[in-house]
Amino acid sequence: MCVGLPGRIVTMKDGMAVIDASGAKREISTELIENLEPGDYVMVHAGIAIAKIQEEDDEETEELLEELL
Amino acid sequence: MTNTRKTAREIIDYYDGPPIRVMEVCGTHTHEIFRLGVRKLLPRQVELISGPGCPVCVTPAEFINEAVWLALEKGVTICTFGDLVRVPGSKKSLAAARAEGGKIQVVYSPTDAFQYAKEHQEEQVVFLSVGFETTTPASCLSVKMAAGEGLSNYSLLTANKTMPGAYKALKGSADVFLYPGHVNAITGTGLCERLVDEGVSGVVTGFTAKEILAAFAVLLTRYPEGKPFFVNAYKRVVTPEGSLPAQKLVEEWMEACDSEWRGLGVISNSGLRIREKYQQFDARIKYQIPKQQGGTNPACRCGDVLQGKCKPTDCKVFGKGCTPLHPIGACMVSGEGACSAYYQYGGEYDG
Amino acid sequence: MDKTVTLAHGAGGKQTSELIDKVFKEHFANPELTSDDAAVLQVEGGKLAFTTDGFIVSPSEFPGGNIGKLSICGTVNDLSCMGARPLYLSCAFVIEEGFPMDKLEEIATSMEKTAKEAGVRIVAGDTKVAGKGQVDGVFITTTGIGRILEGAETAGNKARPGDAVIVTGDIGRHGCTILLEREDFGIEAEVTSDCAPLWGTVEDMFSVTKEIHVIRDATRGGVGTVLYEIAEQSQVGIRLNSEAIPVQDNVKGVCGMLGLEPLYLACEGRLVIFVPKEQANQLVEKLRQGKYSANAAIIGEVTEEMAGRVVMTTEIGAETLLPPPRGELLPRIC
Repeated sequence: MCVGLPGRIVTMKDGMAVIDASGAKREISTELIENLEPGDYVMVHAGIAIAKIQEEDDEETEELLEELL
Repeated sequence: MTNTRKTAREIIDYYDGPPIRVMEVCGTHTHEIFRLGVRKLLPRQVELISGPGCPVCVTPAEFINEAVWLALEKGVTICTFGDLVRVPGSKKSLAAARAEGGKIQVVYSPTDAFQYAKEHQEEQVVFLSVGFETTTPASCLSVKMAAGEGLSNYSLLTANKTMPGAYKALKGSADVFLYPGHVNAITGTGLCERLVDEGVSGVVTGFTAKEILAAFAVLLTRYPEGKPFFVNAYKRVVTPEGSLPAQKLVEEWMEACDSEWRGLGVISNSGLRIREKYQQFDARIKYQIPKQQGGTNPACRCGDVLQGKCKPTDCKVFGKGCTPLHPIGACMVSGEGACSAYYQYGGEYDG
Repeated sequence: MDKTVTLAHGAGGKQTSELIDKVFKEHFANPELTSDDAAVLQVEGGKLAFTTDGFIVSPSEFPGGNIGKLSICGTVNDLSCMGARPLYLSCAFVIEEGFPMDKLEEIATSMEKTAKEAGVRIVAGDTKVAGKGQVDGVFITTTGIGRILEGAETAGNKARPGDAVIVTGDIGRHGCTILLEREDFGIEAEVTSDCAPLWGTVEDMFSVTKEIHVIRDATRGGVGTVLYEIAEQSQVGIRLNSEAIPVQDNVKGVCGMLGLEPLYLACEGRLVIFVPKEQANQLVEKLRQGKYSANAAIIGEVTEEMAGRVVMTTEIGAETLLPPPRGELLPRIC
C-alpha cells in the first residue's frame, strides 16, 4: 500500500527539505508535518514526509512488549 | 516482574491459543511478511490473509484503459508510479502502449510529475493518481503546486481510494486486522478505535521486522482474551490525530465519490475525485474521456483473493496462465499483490 | 511470446532468455552455441573462447567509466568467465550524426587504456554513422577471442551440491550509478560504477585452484539473475545468507527509496563463482588482495534440494525465496 522510508532531514527551505536515507539524498515536501527541524527523522512516502519519527523501532517494540505483561 | 517478560519470538513460538485468521490489509505488509519469511515462523493455527491494500490490485481495468487512451489517442504524457506500468488493461498495459509510441514517464513522486509538466509546457501531462490515504495528499500537493504556478498542462486521472468503506466490507473476513501503519500516519487512529465497538479487532503495525513480529506478539496475546481490541503498535510514527495539514489539503481538493474496487465491486463513498471548482485539473473532464469497457478474464479470482475467500494457489490460472511476466489479474501485477507475492516468494514452498 | 519487443526483453531476465530461445536460437542453433558467457572452440593445441556483446548505455558517460570502458570490460569479462586469457577484440561503432568528436576521442581513450590493462589487442573494427535520432549517441559492439587456460573448465551447468557461492565485491553499483545519472527520480548519492576488466582477478583465482565450477559475470539482471540461471542450468538449489551479501550503504539507501532489490541491479565488474566449499576460504583470501575484489565474500551454498530455486536466510533467521527476476526494473512506491 505505502512503502515508507525513514530519512534524516539535512536542510529545510520553503516547505521542502533534503533528506538523507543511508547516503541517498532527495528533496521532499514537508508541508504536511508541522514543527520539523534539521536533524529530525521523518517517514517519507512518494516524495512527501507523512510523519515525524519519534524513536527507534527497538524502543517502541520494547515498550509494547512491556505493556503485554 | 520484568524477568518473566517474553520476547516477541517466544510469544509467537509458544502460542497455543485458538485458531485465528489475521488479515494484513496493506500490500507493503504482505510484501515484507514474505520477504522476511514471517509465515514460516507462525504457528499452524494462525492463518494469514492478504487484504485489498494494494492500490494497483484494486484499481479496475477501465482505469488502465483510460490511461492508455490518453497516451495513444490524445498524445498525452502519462506520469505514473512504476507499479502501474505492467498492469494489464482490457487490451494492453502501459508498457505495451509505450512500445507503440505512447509517452509513459515513471516518477517517484506526484510532485515530480508536476515538475515535469512545468519543464515541458509544450506537452499535456496527466498523473495517474492512485493510492490510499497515505498517497492522496501527495497528489493533492502536486495540483496545488500546479495551480500556484498557473500551469494549464497538468491534471490528475484519479482512482484514489479510502479505507473506511473497505473495512466495513471486509468485516467478517478475518478475526484480527493488521492495520496499514502509513494510512494511520495520515488519518490517525480514531476510525480503527471505533471499529472495536463493532467487534472488529486490529493492531496498527509498522514495517520493520521487529515491528511486524511485535504486532503478532500483541495480537496473539490479546485475541485469546476474547474481547475485541485495538492497539497502536506503531506509536513512533502514528499519532491519534494523524496529520491535520494532510487531511485539510485533501479536503480542500477532493471529495468523496463511489468507487469500484477490483474484486470487491462498487463501495459507496470509498473513492475520491477532484472537486468541481478545480475541474480543470480533472483529466476525465478535461479530455472528456469516453466511458471505457472493463472486461477482465473470468477465470481470474483476484476478487476472492482480495476478500480472503481463497488463496492465490486456489485460482485455476495462478502460476499457469497468470505469472508476474504475463499477469492476468491485478494481484499478480504489483510486487505487493497477494498473487505476485505468493508466486515470487513461492506459495507452495511457503504454505 | 509477446507481439512486440518491449524494454523487458532487454532487461536480462526471463523475457530476454525467451526472446533468445524463440527467435535467435531457433535459427542459429549448433553445438558450440551455449548459454555460457562465451563459446568454447576446439582448435589445435588447446581451446579458444569466443564471444560478442553490444553496448547501449544512456548516458554514455557515468561516474566510474563510459560506454568505451564498458564495451571492453564486458567482452573481456565474458572471456575471463570461461577461464580464457583475452587475446583479440574487434569493435563496431554505430554513431549518431552530430555526436561530438571530443567525446568519441574520450571513449576511444578509455577503450585503449582498459584493453591495455586487460592485455588484449583491438585488431579489427567498423564504423557506421546513423541519421540523427536513429541511435542514441553511440552504440558499440565488441567481439573477443581468448585462449582458455589449461585445466580450466567452467560452465553454467557445473555447480554441484556442496559448492560455495562467492561474489567478488559489493553488488549493484553499476545499475545504481546509471539510475542516478539518468536523474529520473531526483535522488542523489555518491555511487561509482563497479565497471572493471577482470582477467587479472580470474587469473588470480586459477592460481589458487583449477577446480572452479562456474564463473559468471553479473551484468544486467544482476547477481540474482545469475543465481537463478545457474540453479536452473545445474539443476541445483542455492541457499543465500542475506546478511553476507555485500551492498554499499548508499546503494541500500537508493534501493530503499525506490523499493528495489540490490540483487537485481546490474554490475559490470563483479563475478559470481561456484567452487567446492573446501577451496572457498582460500579463494576469498586471494581475491581480497586483488585490485577489483577487495570485498569478495562467500554469500551462500549449493544444495541438492530445491533445484532451480534460490532460498534466502533472512535477517530474522527465517527462510524465504528470492523472488525470481521479472524483467524491467520498476520502482515500487505504493
